Amino acid sequence: MEILGTVIGITIKSLIFIVGMFLAAAYLTLVERKFAGHVQQRPGPLHVGYHGLLQPIADALKVLTKEDLVPDNADKFLFYLASLLAFVPSIMILAVVPFGEPFEIFGFTIYPYISDVNVGLLLALAFGSISLYGVIFAGWASNSKYPMIGGLRKAAVLIGYEVALGFAIAGPIMQAGTFSLKGIVEAQQGLWFIIPNILAFVVIIFAVLAETGRTPFDVQEAEAELVGGYVTEYSAMKFGLFPLAEWYIATFVLSAITVILFFGGWNPLPLLGWLPIPGMVWFFLKLFAVFMFFLWVHWTLPRYRVDQITELAWKVMLPLALANIFIVAIWIMIFG
Amino acid sequence: MELNNVAFWTFSSLAVLSAIGVVFFRNIIYAVLSLISTLIMVSGLFFNMGAELIGALQIIIYAVAIVVFYVLVISTVPEDKGQTVDVNYMLVSLPVGFLIFIELAYVALYGAWKSNTGMFTPEVVKEMGNVKAVASMLFTKYLFPFEVASVILLVAMIGAIIIGRKDHVLDEEA
Repeated sequence: MEILGTVIGITIKSLIFIVGMFLAAAYLTLVERKFAGHVQQRPGPLHVGYHGLLQPIADALKVLTKEDLVPDNADKFLFYLASLLAFVPSIMILAVVPFGEPFEIFGFTIYPYISDVNVGLLLALAFGSISLYGVIFAGWASNSKYPMIGGLRKAAVLIGYEVALGFAIAGPIMQAGTFSLKGIVEAQQGLWFIIPNILAFVVIIFAVLAETGRTPFDVQEAEAELVGGYVTEYSAMKFGLFPLAEWYIATFVLSAITVILFFGGWNPLPLLGWLPIPGMVWFFLKLFAVFMFFLWVHWTLPRYRVDQITELAWKVMLPLALANIFIVAIWIMIFG
Repeated sequence: MELNNVAFWTFSSLAVLSAIGVVFFRNIIYAVLSLISTLIMVSGLFFNMGAELIGALQIIIYAVAIVVFYVLVISTVPEDKGQTVDVNYMLVSLPVGFLIFIELAYVALYGAWKSNTGMFTPEVVKEMGNVKAVASMLFTKYLFPFEVASVILLVAMIGAIIIGRKDHVLDEEA
């Protein structure tokens, strides 16, 4: 009976997280479109609701009721599976990301995370990289040129940046002495890990942009050369899942991990700890700032060529990440 | 029925099912897909046994880093060619597969017999955590094999780069 309770509890909590993430992602599309509009000196969505506030709902209705086309020569099963394979792992990262400390409401202790595993950071990395298969299989199953090229490009980019990302997160792990994301935040109550880990932070910024396929690195879509990249043959909600997974959910969750690794998670800003602001609010403020930074980069910079991206990954990012490990090791030796 | 048991039977039966899929799927991309599924299910088994570090590494290294190269190679094979089967290869693959099976069975039985005889009893692991347990062994007792393995990998990598290099590269910075 006890087990049943645990299972039901975890299921309900996961459902809350997933539904919340969906709603947040829907409105993140609006944030992004408004932001992109103002960056490019146009108003963005304006007419559905007050200043386009109902636009995400209209978009969702449209994308859900559209005719769902599957190309004749596509591998039907893989074609369906690929869109899920891109989407599900990025939402699975939520299972290990903590959003704050446990707090009490009406006598119930509420844990704002689903699980606090010992290897949370590694699991987040693992789930993030599984979604790569969604892109490759989408390219293969569509059975056409552009998706194929898009999928292979994405794979080439991801392989390079996964390695750099793996080395970059080693710095915060070394300082905190644990893989648990909650433990890493708790280790940053004094100084944030951004201080000795600045190189790793740079690497992570690049890696997140590359992993989520945002603009300086969006060679997998490259609408000017590849039509739509690996999503060319997709339509309706199967199409919608890809940008939803990559541009919104993955960016959001990876921003959360960046905040946890470098900006002290839900610890307050330095010198502002006396303000009566709960930790979760601090966390979401920082999260939002990092997320907007990614949008800012996305909507201002032009696109790299694919060979430049992989060159950057192997020749610049990987040495930077290794140098960061060296610096952090010395820092730990000196300051303990 | 305990939750651990349920998880064990689910993961192991799915792992065996997808392993059968790897062998019997005619379409090679489905075979790779079942391979990924097998590896993820095995990582689920590791988690179930409390070896969460190995479970996570299983996903990162095997299910993603290694298999992605299989997928990259295989996905460049056109769909119709991916479905042919060459019987000649069976002559080689059957005995080799049998040898590997015997080796794995030996390792599994030996491991089951030797388990819990070292210094890392479940209590010790529970106290210090998997990561520290693995690291303390890797960087003390097994440091030499570890370094040798990394040197071998380095040699292999440099060798591959040298073999794969073109003799004269046209337009380097075009």
